Amino acid sequence: MNQRIRRLALALLVLYAVLFVQLNFIQVGRKASLDADVRNTRQTVRDFDEPRGPILTADGVVIAESRRTQPGSTYSWQRVYPEGELFAHLTGYFTLAYGATQVERVMNDVLSGNTAEQQLSGVWSVFDTDDNSGSVTLTLDANVQQAAKDALGEREGSVVVLDVQTGAVKAMWSWPSFDPNVIADHDSAEAGVWLQFLDLLPSKPLLANAYQERYMPGSTFKVITTAAALEAGVVSLDTVFAEESQYLPPQTDDPIENYNGRSCGGDLTEVFRRSCNTPFARLSIDLGPSNMVEAATRFGIGEDVPFDLPSPAASAFGDVDYFVDNLPLLAIGGFGQGNTQMVPLHMAAIAAAIANRGTMMTPFAIDLTRDHDGKVLDRTEPTMWRQVMSPGVASTMVDLMKVVASSGTASCCLKLADGVVAAAKTGTAQLNGPGEPERSHAWMIGFAPADTPRYAFAVVLKGTNAEISAGTGGTLAGPVASKVMNAALRDR
Amino acid sequence: MAGLVTAGAYTLASLGQNAVIPSRILPFLGLMLLLLVSAHVAVRWLASGADSTLLPVAALLNGLGYVMIARLSERLAGLQTTWTFIGIAVFIAVLVFVERINDLSRYTWHFFAAGAGLLLLPLIPGLGFSSGGARIWVNIGPINFQPGEFAKLALALFFAGYLAERGRLISTSTRRLGPFTIPESRDLLPLVAAWGFSVVIMVGQKDLGSSLLFFTLFVVMVWVATEKTSYLVIGLGLFVVACVVAYNLFDHVQTRVAVWLDPWSRYDGKGYQIAQAMFALGNGGVTGTGLGRGLPQRIPEAKNDFIFAAIGEEMGLLGATIVLLSFMVIIGAGLRIALRTQRPFEKLLATGLTTIIGVQAFIIIGGVIRVVPLTGITLPFVSYGGSSLVANYALLALLIRLSDVSARRLGEVPDTPMLSERWAARRARKRTDDVTTEVSDL
Repeated sequence: MNQRIRRLALALLVLYAVLFVQLNFIQVGRKASLDADVRNTRQTVRDFDEPRGPILTADGVVIAESRRTQPGSTYSWQRVYPEGELFAHLTGYFTLAYGATQVERVMNDVLSGNTAEQQLSGVWSVFDTDDNSGSVTLTLDANVQQAAKDALGEREGSVVVLDVQTGAVKAMWSWPSFDPNVIADHDSAEAGVWLQFLDLLPSKPLLANAYQERYMPGSTFKVITTAAALEAGVVSLDTVFAEESQYLPPQTDDPIENYNGRSCGGDLTEVFRRSCNTPFARLSIDLGPSNMVEAATRFGIGEDVPFDLPSPAASAFGDVDYFVDNLPLLAIGGFGQGNTQMVPLHMAAIAAAIANRGTMMTPFAIDLTRDHDGKVLDRTEPTMWRQVMSPGVASTMVDLMKVVASSGTASCCLKLADGVVAAAKTGTAQLNGPGEPERSHAWMIGFAPADTPRYAFAVVLKGTNAEISAGTGGTLAGPVASKVMNAALRDR
Repeated sequence: MAGLVTAGAYTLASLGQNAVIPSRILPFLGLMLLLLVSAHVAVRWLASGADSTLLPVAALLNGLGYVMIARLSERLAGLQTTWTFIGIAVFIAVLVFVERINDLSRYTWHFFAAGAGLLLLPLIPGLGFSSGGARIWVNIGPINFQPGEFAKLALALFFAGYLAERGRLISTSTRRLGPFTIPESRDLLPLVAAWGFSVVIMVGQKDLGSSLLFFTLFVVMVWVATEKTSYLVIGLGLFVVACVVAYNLFDHVQTRVAVWLDPWSRYDGKGYQIAQAMFALGNGGVTGTGLGRGLPQRIPEAKNDFIFAAIGEEMGLLGATIVLLSFMVIIGAGLRIALRTQRPFEKLLATGLTTIIGVQAFIIIGGVIRVVPLTGITLPFVSYGGSSLVANYALLALLIRLSDVSARRLGEVPDTPMLSERWAARRARKRTDDVTTEVSDL
């Protein structure tokens, strides 16, 4: 029997040798090809499950951070958004199953510590810690952002506040928003259901409407028409427009009316203050298609708003050929109706440009990035986007807008604390045709303090019910702008 | 030996510390160590002549598996501690009650009845139930267990007893057929019966792994007992026939083979588990991802049949090789026990028990790393599971007792009286004392 037992031992030895060879074959020989298999998400998951730095506001509020999960969880880190929906459109979300959006996406390398600079500094601190994740600080102020949210309440719309000299975003809020914590939850099936649900909502809560959506600007567009006309010398402060309730542009029998069909006229300051329609329709026609389109282009209309977050929308006006054949549309385009569409962030940038002697700065939300030790990696330098008007015209526009705020369409509702004088322009775009349910966009743009401007704003409320549509831009957007600007000016 | 246990314990503890495992696990870990040390003390006391490598190596496997299970699920780690406790209790109980191993050969047919009964138990309606596709579970009141795990022990004992008695007889009464010596048809009967058993298990319970294990066990034991190669050839022939028939008859057998040959094209279906195991092993590489840093939870049944892949992922080729070497050490020690003893029953029993562990580990590791088609079976001492752990500790106790018995017989350790003998002697002495007292009273 002993001989058989020895043979059995040998046989088993051979079997185990085969196991060992195969094990080596898999774990060493085929390692590279196995790791490279597209279905092998192990490395992706491990990258996902690395420490990740926080996102902060300018005043130091943490709006995204990674927290250790309960022991025994699938992943060691959970991305958390302590402020919930308040900064959702800025931070975006960071998930394995649905990717990353917004700052989480564009600043992924910094947050995960994968920029060349961080990797290099990481080499030296190999013995300290293997966490070289970085942080991102935004230009936004949490107080102003919160004020924007509170002021808007549960009304569809957007609020943008910009630093007029730099273009830094102080607040950017749109309602409805969403809670990124729900999407970043590791239960990706449930997160997927939420994502699908949010995506299907007509109000598009997943979109940062403040810069990814455009709205008909209504009378706020008169700022552009007026600046263009002043620049071209077609109009001056001394120009007087005749009192009229209607104006019949070329190529049509359908006259343009003033708001509520009222008779309206006077000098430029007066018609701007009262926001008459007919004078600006006339100005558009006087300027003509090519001048108007050229002015729109100078203001950056037609190009994606240059912004440091993904997928900004472009404002729209129209092209020359189109207007040559459709002069009535050029006329109503001059006061922000027809096919004219403006991005709220863009409108805020235009208001800021007027306050900044005609220089429109490139808006930005990401202030600076730091490495794990707190050393600043990169800081956004303010840059000019466009020179939209001469300083002289800008100065005239400031005066016009001051009158709107002090005794014009905005005077009812734009009231700043401590007697701060503001400059503004209101707008109410009628979206519904005759007989259709009321739909409108209520706007206000402006800046304050009027003489030493610090912040510019754009507020738009989307009127999808009678409550909003019954008001005008001033009565609806004014109180919102007041609260937000008070919060911004109180700061610092 | 104590040093080896300590080394195993140290490995265990350091592995536990490196892992991202919560502090709550430490009491469990401490309890595990205490259990293994008490098993060691029991061996020193009850079987001082036993092979000194078996228990520490089994403890190492148990410990590696435990760390992996703890890393996968805290709850299961707690349960595994309980199972280890019961396993060690059974281990000590076997050492206490089985003192003269030859006594067991008297109960050959009892073991047969027990083994056959246990094997067929899951087929009884109302008692047995299926889980994971195989009907190998039995539910009695609150307790679920896999009787097959215990049946293999009983059958090894039966084969050893039966063949020790009849083996020589079977091998002498042969006819010649060409170059081969063919056993009498009467003597072929047990072989055919064993084959029948395997088929019943395979068909009735869909448990390919156990079926293969039983059949291998039987063929190996008959071959060792009779020293006739023809049995090996016939056994192999029957095996091939069974394989071909099973392949053609059963879908799940075809699937297993297809997945073995190419898991990648069936990634979204039956091949997923194997493919994930491949990814896990590949990702582990030589040194592993480190405990708690891999994703073994992605492999279905990682705590159970696929625990080897989980070890290979997080502890790398090194950890996986340690597991392979551990089983080789157990095989070596087991067969050395078989060689050392002179009595056929003990020889065959040691061979059978070693074959069970060695072949079972091969079947499942080979299945996981695609050396053979996957057949679900636990990895002895490593996988999560009560029945498996308890049965394997009982098996280990028998091997240790065998080792101790032959050491005593060879005079390597003094053949001190066994516990029951000491107890009997003490009672006898006491009775004599009582009598003496009475006499002196008179």
